[in-house]
Amino acid sequence: MSASPNILDVRNATKRFHGLVAVRDVSFHLGRGEILGLIGPNGAGKTTLVGMVNGTLAPTSGDILFDGASVRSLPAFRRAHLGIGRTFQVMKPFPGMSVLENASIGALFGAKGGERNLRKAREQARESLQFVGLGRRIGQRADALGGPDRKRLELAKALAMQPRLLLLDEVMAGLNHVEIEEVIEDIRKVRERGISILVIEHVMKAITSLADRTFVLHHGEKIVEGPTDEVLRDPRVVEAYLGKKR
Amino acid sequence: MKTKAGIVVCAIVVAVLAALPWYGNSVMVQFGISVLLLATLAQGWNIIGGYTGYASFGNSVFYGLGAYGVAIAMVQLKLPFWVGMLLGLGLAVVFAALLGLAVLRLRGHYFAIATLGLAFIMTAIVSNLEIAGRNIGLVLPLLKSDLLFYELALALLVLATLTVFWLSRSRFGLGLIAIRENEEGAAVMGVNTTLYKVLAFMLSAAFSGLAGGIYAYYITFIDPVGVFDVALNVKMIIMAVFGGPGSVLGPVVGAFVLSTISEVLATKVTSFASMFFGVVIVIAVVFMPRGLADFAERFRRLRLRYFAENVRAHRL
Repeated sequence: MSASPNILDVRNATKRFHGLVAVRDVSFHLGRGEILGLIGPNGAGKTTLVGMVNGTLAPTSGDILFDGASVRSLPAFRRAHLGIGRTFQVMKPFPGMSVLENASIGALFGAKGGERNLRKAREQARESLQFVGLGRRIGQRADALGGPDRKRLELAKALAMQPRLLLLDEVMAGLNHVEIEEVIEDIRKVRERGISILVIEHVMKAITSLADRTFVLHHGEKIVEGPTDEVLRDPRVVEAYLGKKR
Repeated sequence: MKTKAGIVVCAIVVAVLAALPWYGNSVMVQFGISVLLLATLAQGWNIIGGYTGYASFGNSVFYGLGAYGVAIAMVQLKLPFWVGMLLGLGLAVVFAALLGLAVLRLRGHYFAIATLGLAFIMTAIVSNLEIAGRNIGLVLPLLKSDLLFYELALALLVLATLTVFWLSRSRFGLGLIAIRENEEGAAVMGVNTTLYKVLAFMLSAAFSGLAGGIYAYYITFIDPVGVFDVALNVKMIIMAVFGGPGSVLGPVVGAFVLSTISEVLATKVTSFASMFFGVVIVIAVVFMPRGLADFAERFRRLRLRYFAENVRAHRL
């Protein structure tokens, strides 16, 4: 194993879009096997931060260390090979492909460059689909799925990559209570496999029941970080939320 | 099982086509050569346009480069035909790689327009090259053997189709489809999108180039305006789309069906032929926009509702 105790270290990450600073000087770390929560009002820069970690966005300044080594200059597909998997809040399925093919792409190209054997990759994909409860929809086209199943597919695609770090960008948005419980249980099981997880959620129940630690982003800056229950009681967090959400 | 039956049927069709010079007349063989080359072009376009989702207007340029490769080798360098084919293939593939790196970062209309400009640029360049005979063109040695050209063109089409068949069930091909369906999603899941797109473009160019090479030796005279013809590119797109882009056999069937319709119209109604041909294409696009392949797959279940659904789905 590598010397770094952390799977992920983000150091002073800043992202500027022309005049607008979406993320300003944010640092955080994620330990091996840890679940870290990330919360904050809409527009706080959460998705931008995730984009910098998985390589869809290049940081304006700062550094991203995965497993102790900088991945800042690596394109997204190389970071996927290293073991960074991600789901999108605005889902990115392959609409014309079947559900099984969707997940197969993750298995074929994911961690370590993916499984080259088509049959084995399919097996791996089927397993992750069964894991999220999509086992019966394998033959359907992805664009025939309803909202909650699309969310599940997004998770299954990322899991089929066999990542070491999973970035979950609002996988529970739009799900009902029962479905949320199921996904929370799934994420717990994922962690038991030794996968480290960053959870972005507006669903507070998910954060309280999953995250060991949580940090809060507001107007692009990190305002609070600590054990989840303490963070949620912090007056600054309450203010940030109520001020924006009303 | 279904695939196996399909392979047997395809093998029989290929055998019947291969034997055509022995039971058909010379008109049929000549018509066959042009259809086989068009089908190869449509199939080549299918790799970049149908599978990868990048509507290339540069394939007629690869065709022209293939044609000039053979012409320059045979006329100017006095080399045999097959060396010319290799030269043409090399020119097309290298050019596709260089061009691809530059323009495959563009998407949608922008990619189409960028590649469209290419045919005009190439015409201008080749028209001023001494070795390519400037704007006068080159006259190749005459080989009076339609049989050879026919069988060559058929072999090339079979090779192109086998390549696409492999594509449809390989890791590489699935990567291309993922790029077509959602490029950012593909990259995030580990697909090296730039590499894959450039490789697809090169593969597409290879078949266009080889088809151009056969054409040059068959027709014995080429000039810049004739072989760098955007209309030819439009034709291959229409045929691929009519047949079903992103399917293994669609573009081939599309090329055969449209060429036959066009030929029949040209002999029966002569002056109005191109108008009727246009009508056929418009009707096809309105009622079966996903091509014959999709039609064959879903018509049995939906019957006439198939057309109604297509019209509804593509209404603004």
